[in-house]
Amino acid sequence: MKGVRAFVGKYLAIAVINFQSSTAYSGEVVMRSIMITVILYVLVHLWKAAYGASGSTVIAGLTIRDTLWYLVLTETLILSKSAFSTRISDEVRDGSLAYTILRPYNYIVYHMSYSLGDSLVKLVMNFAAGGLVVLILEGPPEHFTLSSLPFLIVSILLALVLDFCFEGLIGLCAFVLEDVSSLQLIYNKILFILGGMLIPIDFFPRWLAALSKALPFNLILYGPATIFVKGDIGAAAGVLVMQSLWILVMAGILFALYSRTMKYLSINGG
Amino acid sequence: MYAVEISDLTKSFKTAVREPGLRGSLTALFSPKYRTVEAVRNVSFRLGEGEILAFIGPNGAGKSTTIKILTGILFPSAGEAQVLGMTPWKERQKLAYRIGSVFGQKPQLWYHLPPLDTFNLFSKIYELEDKAYRKSLDYLIEAFDIKDLLSVPVRKLSLGQRMKCEIAASLLHRPRIIFLDEPTIGLDVVAKQQIRDTIRHLHDSEGITVFLTSHDAGDIESLCKRVIIINHGQVLYDDRVSALKRRYMTKKAISVRFAEKIEGQFTMDGVEVLKASEYGVKLQFQTDVTPVEKVIEQLMVSHSVVDITVQDPPMEEIIRSIYEKPPDAAGEESSPGEAE
Repeated sequence: MKGVRAFVGKYLAIAVINFQSSTAYSGEVVMRSIMITVILYVLVHLWKAAYGASGSTVIAGLTIRDTLWYLVLTETLILSKSAFSTRISDEVRDGSLAYTILRPYNYIVYHMSYSLGDSLVKLVMNFAAGGLVVLILEGPPEHFTLSSLPFLIVSILLALVLDFCFEGLIGLCAFVLEDVSSLQLIYNKILFILGGMLIPIDFFPRWLAALSKALPFNLILYGPATIFVKGDIGAAAGVLVMQSLWILVMAGILFALYSRTMKYLSINGG
Repeated sequence: MYAVEISDLTKSFKTAVREPGLRGSLTALFSPKYRTVEAVRNVSFRLGEGEILAFIGPNGAGKSTTIKILTGILFPSAGEAQVLGMTPWKERQKLAYRIGSVFGQKPQLWYHLPPLDTFNLFSKIYELEDKAYRKSLDYLIEAFDIKDLLSVPVRKLSLGQRMKCEIAASLLHRPRIIFLDEPTIGLDVVAKQQIRDTIRHLHDSEGITVFLTSHDAGDIESLCKRVIIINHGQVLYDDRVSALKRRYMTKKAISVRFAEKIEGQFTMDGVEVLKASEYGVKLQFQTDVTPVEKVIEQLMVSHSVVDITVQDPPMEEIIRSIYEKPPDAAGEESSPGEAE
């Protein structure tokens, strides 16, 4: 029991200290959330024009208000998610890996806690700022139900963990390649399209929608955003199950690769 | 049991070779060439518990690579190593509880937060009991004299203050060995001396084994009894510091600035004038022939001195003289690895 407490305490302490660190300057915290208000302001006008041109109030089962709240969620997630791969590659490049890898914890779990501490602050700030824009310009979400809230929160956390696994796989390449910005760029573009960040997957042509739903990337953005705008508990439970399964698979690959790539590690500087 | 025991340790890196310029970049893109660099070659030595070892050499000699292998970050290409009876790269996590490390050029403290926050985090990471942590913290606060720094954000600390906190952070879990990689780099004379005094104090009162790399000869003289010099990845010298000083660090240089112009040529017995200007001179002398005190005394008597600096010969020069007069030929060497 004591062992478990020490184990949890360790990773919790890491999340807490990074939470403290990223809220060290209150001004900066506020400035960071301005980005999302600009993006959503533009998106509101863009989608108003799109819905106006189509002449219908509902496209693929989503009203304009649904679509905009969907985008609040996906933008919040994409702006709050961890940049784990960038951090690993920075650590390899500046040599600070010598410290972070040398402590009695699991390096991957350490970084996951580290990321969560930072992401949770950003999630709250970005959602508040982005939500405010849509609330003022369009009104509150229509189909959101309070009973789906626990599902939503869990699915957001699982989305962050699943994204973290992909970021981690890219990051491990930094042990060998040093610079992984190109891989990260590709991954981000995949999230933009196949993850459903820019356009809800329901709007895609049938073949592309099928492809997107077969791949795990939709579970990072489209999954939680759909729970939020549709409030369908049955569908929400399905999302959680799929997220958990994919996390098991991807985390398995990540941990297995981590212990192998350690052998190729070389650290710069000093 | 030895604190550190390594035999025939070798680490080679494959690095891409690239010609400068656009043409070089294009060639590297289409037919990359690699070169194998041996950072550490067949290094063997033992370090007893409670020893203070200076592990020195010029930049790129393989000092940091050796430390990184001994702490378990890097896998060696060949050879064996044991630290406190464990193989570092196989038992990295277990070993981490019992060793501490400080890399002088890299920060480990959270930059925006006060040092105490990082200390508290480390107490959790190293699973310290509250009471043990308190005790350890109180001890280090006193040893390093950092009481007033604990609640100041790290970014506001001076380099010397920060380094004291960096080292304290690495000692919270009471490691049996501490690896200090250039702990005094970039510090001023006073801060350097404070760090040295504290390390010495910790060693004397706790019996901690210290593995120190530096290219400041001052660190070595004031801290260590034993020194290993490594160059191009190979051990060049392994003996007592006193023997090194007696045999190879026999020269010192003094730079002096005077209050008045010197009349005529500056001369002094047993001293070579390297450089002379109107208001200052740079002198070099053999300490076994002319002791430092004597040179300073003479300077003080004959001139009014504004500023004076005593320097050791640079590491490169010591290494050059070791190549010129190899220690094996000396016949006065105590057997390496057995120095208390």
